[in-house]
Amino acid sequence: MSATSEPAKTAEATEEQHDEHHEHHEQSFWRTYIFSTDHKVIGMQYGFCGLAFLFFGFCLIATMRWSMAYDGQAVPFVGPLLEALLGNNVARGGVMSPELYNVFGAMHGTIMVFMGIVPAAFAAFGNYVVPLQIGAVDMAFPRMNMASFWAFFLGCVIMMVSFFIPGGAAQAGWTSYSPLASVIPTDGQTYWLIGMVMLITSSLLGAVNFIATIINLRAPGMTWLRLPFFVWAQFITAFLLLLAFPPLEAAGILQLMDRVLETSFFLPTGLVVGGQDVDVSGGGSPLLWQHLFWFLAHPEVYVLVLPGMGIVAEVIANNTRKPIWGYKYLVGSVVVLGFLAFIVWAHHMYMTGMGTVISAFFQTTTLLISIPSVIILTCLLVSLWGGSIRFNTPMLFALAFLPMFGIGGLTGLPLGFNFSDVALHDSYYVIAHFHYVVAPGTIFAIFAGVYYWFPKMTGRRMSEFWGRVHFWGSLIFMNLIFMPMFAQGMAGMSRRMSDGGATYSLSNPDNADVTVGTLSDTIMGLNVSISAAAWAMLVVQLPFIVNLFWSVKHGEKVESDNPWQATTLEWETPTPPPHGNFTKEIKVYRDPYEYSVPGAKEDFTPQAQPAK
Amino acid sequence: MEIPYTVKPRPDTGLYNAKLGIWLFLASEVMLFGALFSSYVLLRVGAEPGTWSMGLMDLLVGAGNTMVLIASSMFVVLAWAELKQGNLAGYKKWKWATIACAVLFLFVKWGYEWPSKFKHYDVWLNNATVLQEKFDEGYHEVASHGEHGDAAHGADVEKYVKKIYTTRFFKEESKDSQLAFDDAWRNGTLALSGHINAYEEAQIDVRITGWKADAGVSEDAADEALVKQLAKQDTEDAAGLRLNGGYLREKTDYDTAKRAEYALGQAGFTVALSVAGYKRVEAHPWMWRTKRVTEDIGGKPRVSSIVFELDDSHHKGIITLNAGDIKRLSAYEPKHSTFFGIYYTITGLHAAHVFGGILIMLYNMLPIGLGLWHRDREQFTNRIESFGLFWHFVDLVWIFLFPILYIL
Repeated sequence: MSATSEPAKTAEATEEQHDEHHEHHEQSFWRTYIFSTDHKVIGMQYGFCGLAFLFFGFCLIATMRWSMAYDGQAVPFVGPLLEALLGNNVARGGVMSPELYNVFGAMHGTIMVFMGIVPAAFAAFGNYVVPLQIGAVDMAFPRMNMASFWAFFLGCVIMMVSFFIPGGAAQAGWTSYSPLASVIPTDGQTYWLIGMVMLITSSLLGAVNFIATIINLRAPGMTWLRLPFFVWAQFITAFLLLLAFPPLEAAGILQLMDRVLETSFFLPTGLVVGGQDVDVSGGGSPLLWQHLFWFLAHPEVYVLVLPGMGIVAEVIANNTRKPIWGYKYLVGSVVVLGFLAFIVWAHHMYMTGMGTVISAFFQTTTLLISIPSVIILTCLLVSLWGGSIRFNTPMLFALAFLPMFGIGGLTGLPLGFNFSDVALHDSYYVIAHFHYVVAPGTIFAIFAGVYYWFPKMTGRRMSEFWGRVHFWGSLIFMNLIFMPMFAQGMAGMSRRMSDGGATYSLSNPDNADVTVGTLSDTIMGLNVSISAAAWAMLVVQLPFIVNLFWSVKHGEKVESDNPWQATTLEWETPTPPPHGNFTKEIKVYRDPYEYSVPGAKEDFTPQAQPAK
Repeated sequence: MEIPYTVKPRPDTGLYNAKLGIWLFLASEVMLFGALFSSYVLLRVGAEPGTWSMGLMDLLVGAGNTMVLIASSMFVVLAWAELKQGNLAGYKKWKWATIACAVLFLFVKWGYEWPSKFKHYDVWLNNATVLQEKFDEGYHEVASHGEHGDAAHGADVEKYVKKIYTTRFFKEESKDSQLAFDDAWRNGTLALSGHINAYEEAQIDVRITGWKADAGVSEDAADEALVKQLAKQDTEDAAGLRLNGGYLREKTDYDTAKRAEYALGQAGFTVALSVAGYKRVEAHPWMWRTKRVTEDIGGKPRVSSIVFELDDSHHKGIITLNAGDIKRLSAYEPKHSTFFGIYYTITGLHAAHVFGGILIMLYNMLPIGLGLWHRDREQFTNRIESFGLFWHFVDLVWIFLFPILYIL
């Protein structure tokens, strides 16, 4: 930076950039905000859709919780809406039919996983933040990036349309196990499969783009071990999506063949449905579906979790004002975790009778994968030690992530052992376990990310006060929802029952003489309290929604481009960043989290700051 | 704003963006086809003895198509090499050669291989002893056609059936194959493979048996509906038919009868269909399913019998199978068995890749695609190189497909 011509050149470049920027603004509204190739706009599109679907998916379960707590009674408020929209054969008089419960259950899972969390945690933050953090002008393939979003959007449209076709959307659970999924006569499952093919295409295009960008577009000096942990997490996640999704696509194609061309890939010989022989050749394998499905769906768990861990690492480093403890171990762990994620899938299938040797293998790999997970969590926890912690909203969410994810992880161990899984399989214990991982885990991380990067996206902060209301409300109700489910599961309550298990309760008169009724009044009573907590949870999301939209225009303006005094490159851009991101040449001189470096003037030393 | 490394490789990774992208895409493709190959293995290993067909594919045609694809893979490299030397005319020559190979491949597959299978049938019998009876009687079909003068002997045809069964499911005769054959013979799981040469198709009488006045259809509307279904447009007949009932049509075909039944059902009529007789049709039907033969029309099947010519029997093994003998009948379509299911799925997905490749190649031959050559030669050359990688992959998939579907 010594040559005198340098600033002049930079100024010229800035002017050029400005012109370009100006031109860009003169592009039509459609090119700028809808069919944009700018990674930041695409990120926000993904983010908006993802959050909207998270909310919608939550509304589905909130409606289902009524059926579980008060089976056979008309759903208040939304009952008439259901009847009007979906027809009186599935919601007569506003009462949720078991078929509708199945539809909502299958779509709750599908929407939350594939249309909510993946777009919000991976695609939204990944698109917005990754190119900024590695010092790139955009993604490697901007048009492909746009194609990825629109393939996703089309997939979502197909999924949403399927609610309104005769018979409604898919009913066989988000896992779509065959033969059930193959023989249900309504068309919902076919729509589901076609929608999934679109979502998988979107994820393929996105994953290729992320990996190519991270490998090839890193700024000069941004070596692999100078990448922020968030970038590493996204990098591994992209590999999981790239390699794990195609088998589900293959499975989807095979199930589509089963449904449309009446093949028997997943239909065994001699299949009888409703007392009738099914006119198929047979010879297929229901287990094949489960293998192909879980080959995706287990890595998918890490797709849901890793971006969250990445966000939490960023927020914790920033708000403890010290380097992440054990950065290299974090990176190593996430790589190992990405590898192991591919060889644990059959722990979802202990109950299928696939044999003790195979079970023992998958039990071993499953317990092995807990090692890198625990290392990551431990590193993040130890990072707090001796830090001068700033308890702002993003940090509160990031801090809550640690114990909540911890509970989710530790309660997974009894499910990983096949002998204890026999008792807990498909019970509410499982529901509680994976929701602890994903809901107060990943979703809290998403909230942390929204509060943390909002100032960069808009130039304004979200309200701290309402952020805290949102946080404490969410934390309390999240636990009131999921903690009792462990008890219900251990008492033997199965998942996917529209009456909340009333059929198997001790107080069911039909069960007086038989032993199937095992659920006590206390366990059944929890259904009501859980439902109430779920509806309260819905209410405490309102401050967040209002805060999000209100702050775009009316939030407190940020005083600089780096309001959190952070070290990573995304804060080197103007606020909000223009098309092309950086207005100066970016070079990286140091590690990602150089907070409180002894002898430095300030308590943070940005990556782009040259060594003296 | 300019994205770096779109043309020149990044020094420390040695890759330009598109090349990196295409390799990642191919990694994903490996997982996609890998999953399908794994499915093939799992389904095949799990198949009951005597259900997984082998050797039904035409090896010569498959091998020919393999050579065509390998040649195209070579041409695609030559096209790129010409571009590297700055020779656009040479590129065009080799690219057309690649496209020609790809089109030939698809033509053989979609124009010959698949359609010929849709006319090829397996028939499973309710009771294989029926077949034994037919053997004992000899083959009146053969005799009546007078091709060889005397009736084929039952034992000859049994030998054919057994030979076909053994090569198809066991390759060579062994104790296991003998056991399985006997078992299939006893249990009726034996599939006879061959072609349908002719069949007896039902001729259907359509009779009006009543009309409901309170069904919400006016008399005029009902008559109008009736007139539409009458062979002759006679309005006076219609009112009579409505009041007294009677034959609407005699000895008509299935489609007309069904259409009349549906339309008149909507107009409040009760319609009875009955089979008046059967008409022999000399044809090789496409893609028939069991229901197409055995569908019940007033107590009789839609097709009373099929004339079935067994494979490899040199026109001697021709038998007439009554509808009542047939448990299941299937052309070599996806529904036939898991073997054909996976065959069509994998080869279909592969063919879709070939088809997509043709579209991309055509794009790169048209002015719209060639525009890049005139703007930036190196980038265009890179684009052709990336496509070549994809094309090699498509070729490679076929190299795996050919043995598992044609040879093993």
